[in-house]
Amino acid sequence: MRRFLLRRLATIPLTLFAVSLLVYAATELVPGDVARTILGREASPASVAALRAQLGLDRPVVQRYLDWLSGFLTGRWGDSYTLGAPVRGLVLDRLGASLLLAGLAFALLVPVALTLGLIAGVSHDRPADRVISVTGLTLGAVPEFVTGVVLLVVFAVRLHWLPASAQAPEGASPVTRLGHLVLPALSLVLLCMGYVARHVRASTVASVESPYARAAALRGATRAQVVRRHVLRNSTVPATSALGVQLQFLLGGLVSVELLFNYPGVGALLLQSAVDKDLPTLQAVAMVLGVLYMLIVLAADLTYRLLDPRVRLGEAVA
Amino acid sequence: MPRTLELPDQDTLSRLPGLSRRLFLGGTGAAALTALLAACGADTTPATSTPSAARAAVSAAPKRGGVLRVGTPPPPTKVDPVSMYDGSAIAIVQLVADYLIWLDKDFKLVPRLAEKWESRDGGKRWVFTLRQGVKFSDGTPLDADAVKATFDRLLDPKSKSAALSAFDSVLARGGVNVSGPSTVVFTLERPFSDFPYLVSAGNYNAVILKKDHAGDFTKNPIGTGPFLLRSYDLSRGASLVRNPSHWREGRPYLDGIEVKFYADDQADLLALQSGEIDAQILSRAQLVGPLKGAGDIVVDQVPATALTAFTFRVDQPPFDRKEVRQAVAYALDRPGLNATLYEGIGALGNDHLFAALFPAAPADIPQRGKDPAKVAELLGGQKLTFPLTFDPPTKDYALALQAQLKAVGIEVTLDQRTSADFYGGDQEKDTPWLFSTANLVGWAGRAVPSQFIIPMVKSGGVWNGSKYANAALDAAADAYDAATTDTERKAQAEIIAKALNEDVPVVISVWGGAVRAHNGAKFAGVAAHPSNYVDFSEVHAL
Repeated sequence: MRRFLLRRLATIPLTLFAVSLLVYAATELVPGDVARTILGREASPASVAALRAQLGLDRPVVQRYLDWLSGFLTGRWGDSYTLGAPVRGLVLDRLGASLLLAGLAFALLVPVALTLGLIAGVSHDRPADRVISVTGLTLGAVPEFVTGVVLLVVFAVRLHWLPASAQAPEGASPVTRLGHLVLPALSLVLLCMGYVARHVRASTVASVESPYARAAALRGATRAQVVRRHVLRNSTVPATSALGVQLQFLLGGLVSVELLFNYPGVGALLLQSAVDKDLPTLQAVAMVLGVLYMLIVLAADLTYRLLDPRVRLGEAVA
Repeated sequence: MPRTLELPDQDTLSRLPGLSRRLFLGGTGAAALTALLAACGADTTPATSTPSAARAAVSAAPKRGGVLRVGTPPPPTKVDPVSMYDGSAIAIVQLVADYLIWLDKDFKLVPRLAEKWESRDGGKRWVFTLRQGVKFSDGTPLDADAVKATFDRLLDPKSKSAALSAFDSVLARGGVNVSGPSTVVFTLERPFSDFPYLVSAGNYNAVILKKDHAGDFTKNPIGTGPFLLRSYDLSRGASLVRNPSHWREGRPYLDGIEVKFYADDQADLLALQSGEIDAQILSRAQLVGPLKGAGDIVVDQVPATALTAFTFRVDQPPFDRKEVRQAVAYALDRPGLNATLYEGIGALGNDHLFAALFPAAPADIPQRGKDPAKVAELLGGQKLTFPLTFDPPTKDYALALQAQLKAVGIEVTLDQRTSADFYGGDQEKDTPWLFSTANLVGWAGRAVPSQFIIPMVKSGGVWNGSKYANAALDAAADAYDAATTDTERKAQAEIIAKALNEDVPVVISVWGGAVRAHNGAKFAGVAAHPSNYVDFSEVHAL
């Protein structure tokens, strides 16, 4: 286990290096000029050229990359080209917001999806299974901004039960803050729920029909006992990786939800910095998300190993 | 399964006042949302489809106090009065700082920090007298030195200000001088009768700042405007409070303004619908139009001078023939475009650059309309096919044009670029917005027609994408700028307008209108402005 952990941790810097190179190269290839973006199309060519020089954009790309890399490694993340604000504060502030929303959505998603998946699996091919499966598939197929709009119109505009914006006012209590996050979290849960529940359902069906479950039933265990003692753990293990994938998505892929619910998260910042070719911000967001993604994958793998002894045994045998 | 999000290219990004910088969820989503919202509002409070409620409220004695919560897109760049060009940054600065002259909704000049002004030497020298007793928010008195410093800053080639383009060939560095503590003299490079417009809000960077303006406006927000900037967060918004020492007696009525940033149009609209904000700064006609008559939302609208120029390269086939350009112009259903693109609030264009708002606009040029027989006659059996280059903000226009031209047998190949690509490249060699065969360019509203004519269609104009050159038009444009009487100005305007209408280097099908939505049950005085400018000093709670 320790060797596995060390090996995986060692790949993180290498992967980040590759990501930074790719992002830098891709941004260079995309047409457009950040200086023109900053000054607007009506600025004179001389002004644009002066700003390019001021930002150091007239230097060779390799030199700029190396300068950025050395700065990043020594904690100097620079200022956003377009917003003029320090990148570190900007990115970490947005990341904190994204973590809060993703955390709440994930905390709601896990019990709901696991429960529904189990119910569907245990009720295999019965009405409850069909209702859960079809509902999950349908909600998963509807884009989150459509679900979000419906939720907003019903609960914020029509009923006035919940706020339209995910941003709570300055100095709001934790409960108020939570209230502001309910609708965006709910739209995310509705989107991801079907995917996770499907995984749990499939493994539940396999577990219920497995020889050990049948043997337990033959030994006189009730259905509830069979599910609790033999099915539950075996069904949830495969969901671990599905949940890991969802968590990655929740952290960086929330652009439309962030925009719709007016939430200043890292996804919208990533999009905007890519569109504006704001490299210092774009690179910092890519690096931070890269670290988080890899840690999530690692955590999912470790959880899988902890829950499933066969994986650990397989490694020991190998 | 997690959905792969398609990154909208510079999609919906627009960097000019009058056009919002908002992302995403456009097209059918927007239409569906507005329909849904309109449906939701339909059975609520009695309809208020015009600002009549607001007007009625204005007639009552204005109440002092209250905080107006407004929504607007986050500024794409830092808020800097010298280099700003997007509607949100301009609005925030306009709440804190003043111009010499304000531009009202009818494009009339309203004295602000300048009490009066007069021209000398046939319009080549302009003398401005400043208002007495005005102080900056830090207590420093306003004087002629501050005004001179403001314009010297804008005219400095290192300033990176868009105002440099506005002053091009009219006012150069060194042309601003002080003649006493309250008198500023502008010496122009050539006579320019509309010069007051160039130092008014019509040139949005021309807000008067302190002589020693430190450069970081959100940290040193010192101005003479009706509000003081208390805090600014580039992700969330801004908080402003009443300027207790504002020079306008009894103004503003409001205690303060909370500006909330919404990066998405729909979020802004939903916030207005749900009561989370009271007004929008940059409303979009297509989104708020359907809400007229829904609940308490009041949508004020005014004519504007913003336009989308459908430009042809007149120096290369197929548009080197005037008849071909005219054929395209006669193929368009302009009322249809107005309805589709502007919810009908725009005014029909006639392929020249004089909007009805401009006092010198000629009225005797017959309005061009759709005429398929004329199209066939002008093309003379020629099969016309051409590429149309554009960026995402004009996508709907491009699609509408393609459909309308197809109906008369003209094939258009759509060539959509990202905004960064469309406006990128070498401005003197290959940038698509100035060098493609045909393109669509959104132009924010201008205070004077010369701000369109000089760069867009004068020979060698800095943004002359058509490469049109007409010596008669050039002479008339110069004479128009130098004209000292309305009669003379109108005569020159007619020459220019007729030349453009006949030669069609650009098709101007519709002049856009401007809208601003607010909650009419809570506030009065929130008015639309042709350039989406804000003057909330007259706004009051109900």
